[in-house]
Amino acid sequence: MAGLSRRRFLQGVAGLGAGVLSGCGGLPLRSGAKAHVVVVGGGFGGATAAKYLRLLDANIQVTLIEPKAKYVTCPGSNWLFAGLANLDQLTVDYQSLQDSYGVKLLVDRVSSLGAAQRLLRLVGGQSVTYDRLIMSPGIDFRWDAMAGYDQAAAEQFPHAWQAGPQTLLLARQLQAMPDGGVVLMVVPADPYRCPPGPYERASMMAYWLKQHKPRSKILILDAKRSFSKQALFEAGWAKHYGYGTANSLIEWHSLADNPLLELDKQNRMLTSEFGDSFRGDVLNIIPPQTAAQIALQQGLTDSTAWCPVRPLTGQSLFDEFIHVIGDSAHYAPIPKSAFAANSEAKACALAVTSLINQTPIAEAHWLNTCYSLITPEHGISVAGVYELDSANAIAPVKGAGGVSARTDGEAAAMEADYTRAVYRSLIADTFG
Amino acid sequence: MKRIFYAAAALVASALNSIAHAEIDARAIAFNCRNCHAESSLDAKSSIPSLKNLSAQQIRQALLDFKYDKNPATLMPRLAKAYSDAELAAVAEFLSRN
Repeated sequence: MAGLSRRRFLQGVAGLGAGVLSGCGGLPLRSGAKAHVVVVGGGFGGATAAKYLRLLDANIQVTLIEPKAKYVTCPGSNWLFAGLANLDQLTVDYQSLQDSYGVKLLVDRVSSLGAAQRLLRLVGGQSVTYDRLIMSPGIDFRWDAMAGYDQAAAEQFPHAWQAGPQTLLLARQLQAMPDGGVVLMVVPADPYRCPPGPYERASMMAYWLKQHKPRSKILILDAKRSFSKQALFEAGWAKHYGYGTANSLIEWHSLADNPLLELDKQNRMLTSEFGDSFRGDVLNIIPPQTAAQIALQQGLTDSTAWCPVRPLTGQSLFDEFIHVIGDSAHYAPIPKSAFAANSEAKACALAVTSLINQTPIAEAHWLNTCYSLITPEHGISVAGVYELDSANAIAPVKGAGGVSARTDGEAAAMEADYTRAVYRSLIADTFG
Repeated sequence: MKRIFYAAAALVASALNSIAHAEIDARAIAFNCRNCHAESSLDAKSSIPSLKNLSAQQIRQALLDFKYDKNPATLMPRLAKAYSDAELAAVAEFLSRN
């Protein structure tokens, strides 16, 4: 945009139709393109939306804006703690989206959004215009929830709730911990990314500790009264980690009525409202979450700090040309998971192509399937199928979904196998 | 008795559905199958079967068997129960062609 007056820029837009404009002029739409959809965020929601838009209608030009050229998947990141995977194995790129599906990738960050002009300005200097915008920017953290725990403190006491360096840091801390040490895991109230994630993490840490530092303990301090797949996790922990006995590798404590208020960094100690204190050798503090900063800054969130949407199309309640999907959007009761983000992206891509082509919008169907590993050979799952009810709200389909019905060894081994297979499929479907 | 009930329920459901969903957009359901049933050649040894090279009839029968608990499995019975027989037939038709 440098050197271009607003008037000249708008004239340029009118002349070109929608497109991507650099500082030295505009790039025209590819010949035949009937609309330009910009997707912000290259996680499971954004990458799936970009790919499926191109699959559904090759005459729609799609630009994906993502700050990182490579993306480390949160699914699978707990496997690091058990020594079952490394970061490289969990890293994907956008080459296939570009080469096989013709998605244009801009490795850049959005600096501002001009919704009235349907225009995004990027930190790198480019401006991008859109006919429709799909936002899938993920989560951010509330750094004001616990005194003493802020972004700087997270470098010492990692949340590891966005996979990458934080995950490695936490894994190294676990490995360096003395035998007989205590891991404190702080889990927020709902809603947050990946409801069963903390409990799978505790399982994977316990698996590693059982082999290497068996006198240790993981203390889960939970802001909730109950948690996802609780009965399955607790049965698995009893079977493998002594859960319920004095020597259990895992203890779970609900602090729903006694929230943790303060971190004493020096003493690695957490203090609750009633004055209870917990000291740990390794502290994994997962803060409460919000929609990503860009969504907050651009006024796409409501008082919950998540983005309200019309479920059928994913359109923001605040702007009909902006769709929001994935963890930052309010799709409850669909949980915030990678699988759900992929499913929301497909429903959104179908709706967006219908809106562009002015055809009727199909009934939306969403699916969530979530596997967790308790040991490398013991998997469990929960599934949910969702539809719009008569009031146009998202509702689980009655009589469907639910947790693993069989928990015998054979079923547990099958579900452990499916955990890995579904991870690979989800990656292939989203990024491949 | 149970089987007769299911058969009757299925008939009623499919009759109702042929009215309620005169035009089922199978894509909206079937796209979600790909999350687990990848078509990638990289994963030829996956324990989750690829749906490629299956006929519409084969997929439809498998889905109905999951739905009516004739084929025990860990996950698919939980999912197939969410859909009408007509929807499952449409999904099978779509998956066999795509």
